[in-house]
Amino acid sequence: MNPTYFLLLIYIIVCTLIITYWAAKHSGTTKQYYIASGTLTGYQNGMAISGDFISAASFLGVVGMIALRGYDGFLYSIGFLVSYNVVLFLVSEPVHRLGKFSLGDVVCSRFPGQKMRLIMAICTFIISLLYMIPQLVASGFLLRLLLDLNYSVSVLLIGTIMTIYVVVGGMIATSWVQIIKTVLLMSGTFLLTLIVLSNFNWDLTLFLNKVEEGTPLGEQFFLPGHLFNIPIEFLSLQLSLVLGTAGLPHILMRLFTVRNTYEVRKSLISATWIIGLFYFMTLILGFGTVALLGYEALIAKDPTGNLAAPLLAKVVGGDFLLAFVSAVAFTTIVAVVSGLAISATIAFSHDIFFHILKKGKTTEREQVRSARITAFIIGLLSTLFALRLESINVTSLVSMTFTVAASSVFPVLVLTIYWKRFTSVGAITAIVSGILASFIFVVLGPYVMNPSDGLFKTEAIFSLYNPGIVTIPIGFLGGILGSLLSKRIKQKETDFNSFYIKAQSGYSSRGES
Amino acid sequence: MEEKLLNYIYRKRKRLFIILIFALLFYFFLPLSLIFIPEIMNKPSFLFNLPWAWVYAILQFPMTWLFCSIYHRKAKKDEQELDAIKGEDVN
Repeated sequence: MNPTYFLLLIYIIVCTLIITYWAAKHSGTTKQYYIASGTLTGYQNGMAISGDFISAASFLGVVGMIALRGYDGFLYSIGFLVSYNVVLFLVSEPVHRLGKFSLGDVVCSRFPGQKMRLIMAICTFIISLLYMIPQLVASGFLLRLLLDLNYSVSVLLIGTIMTIYVVVGGMIATSWVQIIKTVLLMSGTFLLTLIVLSNFNWDLTLFLNKVEEGTPLGEQFFLPGHLFNIPIEFLSLQLSLVLGTAGLPHILMRLFTVRNTYEVRKSLISATWIIGLFYFMTLILGFGTVALLGYEALIAKDPTGNLAAPLLAKVVGGDFLLAFVSAVAFTTIVAVVSGLAISATIAFSHDIFFHILKKGKTTEREQVRSARITAFIIGLLSTLFALRLESINVTSLVSMTFTVAASSVFPVLVLTIYWKRFTSVGAITAIVSGILASFIFVVLGPYVMNPSDGLFKTEAIFSLYNPGIVTIPIGFLGGILGSLLSKRIKQKETDFNSFYIKAQSGYSSRGES
Repeated sequence: MEEKLLNYIYRKRKRLFIILIFALLFYFFLPLSLIFIPEIMNKPSFLFNLPWAWVYAILQFPMTWLFCSIYHRKAKKDEQELDAIKGEDVN
């Protein structure tokens, strides 16, 4: 490995471990360990949300996709960004007011009961693991390409560091790792963007002409349709992207780490600015790759296009900039998997261990201890899975995560918060039907059934790669039918009006506002 | 008290749904326009002769920020109104 790469990597690891050591001293209670005592400011939380959300797939994948496919590659970014409107308007403030540590708290504030809590915990667990494993697998490939490390060594390195952050430092360490990642990512991307534009003397017409020359698509490069040529597929993907974020537990849990709804809104607005500016810069980097490196040179090095940003960095800034971009990619991966690990940890230790196994009767110390043990086991298991699943289709799992989140957690949250006639049976049927439909349609779809590279070498029964357009309505329909058909069953439920007032205003008749 | 709060929430929700529907319509017009009126979206625009599809896609960024900021401003006013209602209850 190049010594510059090695030194930068060690520097970042040492800095973040020092923060973790400091965080460990402030993570003695569940409130500190799970939600950093709600002490983050809106801006800090906005940076942490961006750090949690912008994965290596965004940083490296979107730049590559724009370089290879032009306009259609850029459409992913827009879906990701606009999804924050849905989070802010529909769920953010009620989730903050109703929950304490987990999504289980939110739904159980209307439908109390162990069964409901267990189902929400399992759902959070499934979504977090579904997202974490492909991130770890992708990290193995990326570090192999960027830093010339063996796949297993890369996965072990990322898995170990993630486990240390979460076990030792809990939410405080995770948040600060994510904030540092955002600062590094934004400054690295900004620097690279400036260098790219300066290469064309800030002349955008010249820049765009060079892009046309660098791609075999010529002027067609700027026209839509080089990736999504089936309209329904395109619409389905956009639907999953725009609704999926409002169902991702690791993003929603960040709404508990600030003290009030004003800070919640500030968090999400800062996140949209950071994420928007970031994706805007990836557009320039994608174009820059084609203009300065050329399509053929990119394809020769990596046919997936994932190495577009690092290769561009090498062309415009030499080895040092490449080392910096690689270090940023490393921090990006670690920050995202840490966020996922802590959300899975809270689901298990708070919802299952504390509420179900211990029936709410255990000491703070024991809860934090169990959370640390859970975090260790989750870190270990996900790393082992990632080591074994080297050949798994990463894109299919990431796409499935957004589909599952948009088809299960999102309908349950929206119906719980806004629909008076929703029942606990409806909540369970919404989750079960959303998750089952997502799994079934992905398995029957071309990611799994494909004559060339599918798990089953046969024609797909369901033609869409992204089944959100079918599974999201199934999730909602499951909830609505389950509620209407279970009206006569006696169910444990809090009075809707007082629940609704608390969700929308934070005011409780028992004075807990 | 409960009635006052429910009235307040109803007004707030109405505003919220209007802005949400507008934001989603603005967003989904992008894929729908690419599907149903590609000949217009592929025409060169004023922006470096890039197709109109680029203009509309890039417009999603400032519009997202604008929707968020409108919502935040309204929510701040709502919270002041809520504090007044809660104050009446205490008095």
